[in-house]
Amino acid sequence: MEWRQGVGKAAEQKHQLVLPGIIHEATGPDDTSYLIGGKCEACGRVFFPKCFVCRICMNEGTMREVPLSKIGAIDTFTVVHVAPLGFKAPYVQAYVDLPEGPRVFSLITGCDPLGSDLREGAEVELVIGKIREDENGRDLIGYMFRPTGR
Amino acid sequence: MREVAVVGVGMHPFGKFLDKSLSDLARVAVWNALQDASVPAKDIQLAYVGNSIGGLITGQEGIRAQTILGPSGFGGIPMVNVENACASASTAFRGVWLEIASGLYDVGLALGVEKMFLEDRARTISALISVSQIELSKLGMQFVGESAMRCRRYMRRYGGTKEDLALVAVKNSYNGSLNPYAFHRKPYSLEEVLNSPLIAEPLHLYMTSSIADGAAAAVLCAKDALSRYDAKRSISIAGCALKSGRFRLSDPLDTEVDSTITLTANIAYEQAGMEPKDIDVAEVHDAMSPIELISCEDLGFCKKGEGVRYLKEGRTKITGDIPVNVSGGLCARGHPVGATGIAQLAEIVWQLRGEAGPRQVAGAKVGMCEDSGGVLVDGDNAAFTNIILKK
Repeated sequence: MEWRQGVGKAAEQKHQLVLPGIIHEATGPDDTSYLIGGKCEACGRVFFPKCFVCRICMNEGTMREVPLSKIGAIDTFTVVHVAPLGFKAPYVQAYVDLPEGPRVFSLITGCDPLGSDLREGAEVELVIGKIREDENGRDLIGYMFRPTGR
Repeated sequence: MREVAVVGVGMHPFGKFLDKSLSDLARVAVWNALQDASVPAKDIQLAYVGNSIGGLITGQEGIRAQTILGPSGFGGIPMVNVENACASASTAFRGVWLEIASGLYDVGLALGVEKMFLEDRARTISALISVSQIELSKLGMQFVGESAMRCRRYMRRYGGTKEDLALVAVKNSYNGSLNPYAFHRKPYSLEEVLNSPLIAEPLHLYMTSSIADGAAAAVLCAKDALSRYDAKRSISIAGCALKSGRFRLSDPLDTEVDSTITLTANIAYEQAGMEPKDIDVAEVHDAMSPIELISCEDLGFCKKGEGVRYLKEGRTKITGDIPVNVSGGLCARGHPVGATGIAQLAEIVWQLRGEAGPRQVAGAKVGMCEDSGGVLVDGDNAAFTNIILKK
């Protein structure tokens, strides 16, 4: 009943990642957390989430994992006034352009959703933290971005 | 490939029917379509059933076509379950078209059906959210907000105000008020649209499609077998295209890259030997009504960035040169996800036959239906169809 033990172990953990394989969590003081991208060695394009075959070249064996920049710029955003289950309105959702190329969906934290300080093009930095709680009150950890003020 | 025609269409009105099951909704649409076609049920040789979220809503997975059509008398024939987000019904329609065009069968049924109203509203919302790629929904993406961001990209590039965007809902709510199958039959003023609750800037409630129960069906027949039935009211399928979303080097709203809506339409135009100027009436997938402006540009009805002017000039009104969403579109008709595609086709069939009553487009001979649904992590939709019908 190995799988049952696995379920039990996960339930004991204080938090778990909302999705596997997209975030590298810092393992100690010498390490940092980042989003995991995939880079094609043939064409140079970077994808997030990582993919196993380049979506441009479509050849096997050209992809490798790369850490993505923690600083990006807001492409565009909106304030959501009706929240999906588990989330609390109002909140800000956005697409963030990363220097490596990917345009990444993300919630924006660290700003007043009803304030007017947020703008397209604003610089934002990666935050790894609690996105919401699951049905058992356990923290689900994901990524967000917050304005740097620049 | 043989030529194929639509010989009958039928709907169950879209709305809130708490006491009706998927099968109850389907039965009305299917038998209305059979009656419209004057085709005996026993002549139906195969059926494709489009449905998007019925598994999560009812718990019935895997065999919804068979369980939905069984109580309407059907069994023994080939049945195919089709699940393809907002394009589920149009993809089912395409399946029947292909089977008949290939020469394998002569007469088939395409059904789209969805049940969304439950006592437990949260279950419906969860099911709807699951139609976006899970990498997005788990991180908090709200799908109205996703369209809101597309609108903001459009406004960034081409200008236009929130009032301009709201005018689409004003036009379509008027059209819907003329449609007996529409869920919401009240024409809204610009003030009413802008005063409805804000969902995600710049989108207000009356600019969004609502959940609904409903069904729509079509009976298709090979043209060389039409002599068996009343062929006078048949409508030809001139083009029928399906695509999936893809990784794009840049967003079509930021650059000159063709959208997947454009690429899908190009296939249908080529099959039909037509151009945008040949289209007399169109149903486009306005899950959020301002998206209609972007779609009109992507389908080639007007140039990029001219959607607002085109709308304001009345070109897309019932009396315009390419009337768009004369049925009321998704916001007025309601959007039972897996039924919408064939509801659009039913509207175009009625328009081309001259049977659309007060919302009839004068002299319409060619019509287009466009669907796009689901959201991928790449920012593109997931499923696209484009179907051209001609008199």
